[in-house]
Amino acid sequence: MFFHNFKYTLKYLFKSRILIFWTYAFPIILGFLFYLAFSDIEKNEQLDIIDIAIVKEAAGEQRENSEDEASGNSEILLNAFEALSDENSEDQLFHTVYVSEKEAKGLLEKGKITGYLLAFEKTPKVMVKENGINETIFRQAVSEILQTAKLTAVLTEKEAGRQLAAAAGAAGGAGAGQPDWNAVAEKVLGDIQEEQANIRDISGGNLSYTMIEYYTLIAMTCLYCATIGMYAVNCILANMSRKGMRISVGPVKKGRLVLSSLCASYVVQLLGLALLFLFTIFILKVDYGPNMPLVILLALVGSFAGLSMGIAAGALIKANENTKIGIIIAVTMLGCFLSGMMGITMKYVIDSKVPVLNKINPAGMITDGLYSLYYYDTFHRYWFNIISLLIFSALMIGISFFALKRQKYKSL
Amino acid sequence: MKNIIEVQNLSKTYKQLKAVDDLSFEVREGEILGLLGPNGSGKSTTINCILSLLEFDQGHIRIFGQEMTPDAYTLKKQIGVVFQDVAVFEELTVYDNIDYFCGLYIEDKKTRKDYVRDAIALTGLEEFVKFYPKQLSGGLLRRLNIACGIAHRPKLIFLDEPTVAVDPQSRNNILDGIRVLREKGATIVYTTHYMEEVEQLCDRIIILDKGRVIAAGTNEELKELTDIEEKVTVEVDGIQQPQLDRIKALANVKEVTNSKNVINIIYGEGENNFEKLLEFLGREKIRYHKIYSERPTLNDVFLELTGKELRD
Repeated sequence: MFFHNFKYTLKYLFKSRILIFWTYAFPIILGFLFYLAFSDIEKNEQLDIIDIAIVKEAAGEQRENSEDEASGNSEILLNAFEALSDENSEDQLFHTVYVSEKEAKGLLEKGKITGYLLAFEKTPKVMVKENGINETIFRQAVSEILQTAKLTAVLTEKEAGRQLAAAAGAAGGAGAGQPDWNAVAEKVLGDIQEEQANIRDISGGNLSYTMIEYYTLIAMTCLYCATIGMYAVNCILANMSRKGMRISVGPVKKGRLVLSSLCASYVVQLLGLALLFLFTIFILKVDYGPNMPLVILLALVGSFAGLSMGIAAGALIKANENTKIGIIIAVTMLGCFLSGMMGITMKYVIDSKVPVLNKINPAGMITDGLYSLYYYDTFHRYWFNIISLLIFSALMIGISFFALKRQKYKSL
Repeated sequence: MKNIIEVQNLSKTYKQLKAVDDLSFEVREGEILGLLGPNGSGKSTTINCILSLLEFDQGHIRIFGQEMTPDAYTLKKQIGVVFQDVAVFEELTVYDNIDYFCGLYIEDKKTRKDYVRDAIALTGLEEFVKFYPKQLSGGLLRRLNIACGIAHRPKLIFLDEPTVAVDPQSRNNILDGIRVLREKGATIVYTTHYMEEVEQLCDRIIILDKGRVIAAGTNEELKELTDIEEKVTVEVDGIQQPQLDRIKALANVKEVTNSKNVINIIYGEGENNFEKLLEFLGREKIRYHKIYSERPTLNDVFLELTGKELRD
């Protein structure tokens, strides 16, 4: 009987156009729309390599007056821009030519370069003709490099002072000699690297906000499993459908029938998910990152949560099928909206202002779980979301179980 | 003849409406029992209570000598139900629908195949096995509904208004099918508000009103409950009041009414009333173009017992 019902549940679910649309077609259509809407934006936002020039000479008077300071900063700038202009690097940002100031002015006038840097001035200057993104990036890069240089100097001074004070303390107040410059350099480098590491963590590597859209799309697809689960449950409950009445007078245990129908619903859902993954990965070229097995695991657990939501909708809501489907779709879309489907800002706002909302929102749990796979080196947050989804599912099934138990008799 | 169903003192209330009121009756093995009553008389509620689809306030229901409960799977295996509303999967073909519902009772695939084939033949759906429900006419859909309910060859069948809104051809097919099921040994509880069907089909009839049994017996036994022997209808070109008065004065005439030259004459008793009326019409030179005689119907019985028509 289990397999008999399983077989026919598969059969009627696959032939239900409305369910197939919401489970299979709609996520793929939406994914394609995301692709059309966001891929161009992302492409446009990809930075071109900026042509710049560096003037390695300064006016004679200035150079004489501040030779030490200028040469210190200029060295740093030259080294930094050399690294940022490395053609073999994936992070190449600039294409740099080293010219005289006169030549630089000429190149700028002709529009051959975005701007040029007077690296050997007392205060290095960026000369540009216009104000645009490339000009801003050029200025910002110079500013960042100089700030980092200043930070390094401050940290070095501090660390050297600390070492001297420590050495003086150990010598009973007698004047200390020289600090251990190797130790100072190691400490400062360590501090700077840590600072850079922090910055990298926050920026999230190569994660684009379009990915959040795809995460919410996966969350939505998982939760649409609720429509299938609800339909399957509806078909076998006497107080929900005429077919349910007919099945209820048969010699079959309701629990076994529900389980069989839900297994079939889950299979239908998994196929929908597989299609979505194949479509997004191979057609839309979406990169879900190196943790694909964990992405799939989260989708499986998310679908289970969706299924449990459908059982609850089937068992608890006293309305016809279409109304229930409407409620499920509305709840799912609201959940996806709150977790960033219509803009990542919403996720940040909810996470910072009402964090509990996305903790109880299954779409939020799925999106956040996928998000955490990119943002964090550790998997604590990922597993936290997996466990949250399982608890959510258990709650839904538990409530439905008691509701179904009470429906031994039809209530008209 | 043993009782297949025994209902004792069954009561069911919906909020303040008493749908079934202290109802008791039994269904005997091999018979077709008709549950007749107007809409809202408690027929479907009674069936739902018997099938354990509804909780009831008080009473006992025994089927095949056992107490009926929602978990009485052995009993349920022997029962087939055809509900008033068509209950099939729109996404499955005629064959798949019958096979699905039959499969809830019969696990063996080979046996099931034979059963499904027989049910298709019984309901005359051979040409439509690959059709989807939405491709079927109302009558064919009703036949499919019946096939789904009886394919597993149940010993006890409940048919709840199976002929509502069907064409005459499908109605005849359905009624013939029910007779065949009875011939094969099934006991049938047939619920309807079509008195003609009950008269044609049922061995015994229970008339319900407001959740109570107001009369029970065979067709003939029920008709004896009324003091109508014969009803004669005459369509005339014209008639005068004195002539109507003289008809009223004829022997055994109980009541005469005239509505737009259609005269209804009710006889309380006696024989050869029709012949005597023909003689009278000849004598009085009353021209008529249609005249026919009827025996009292169950509607007359219902009218007599409740003061209202069955189809009110």
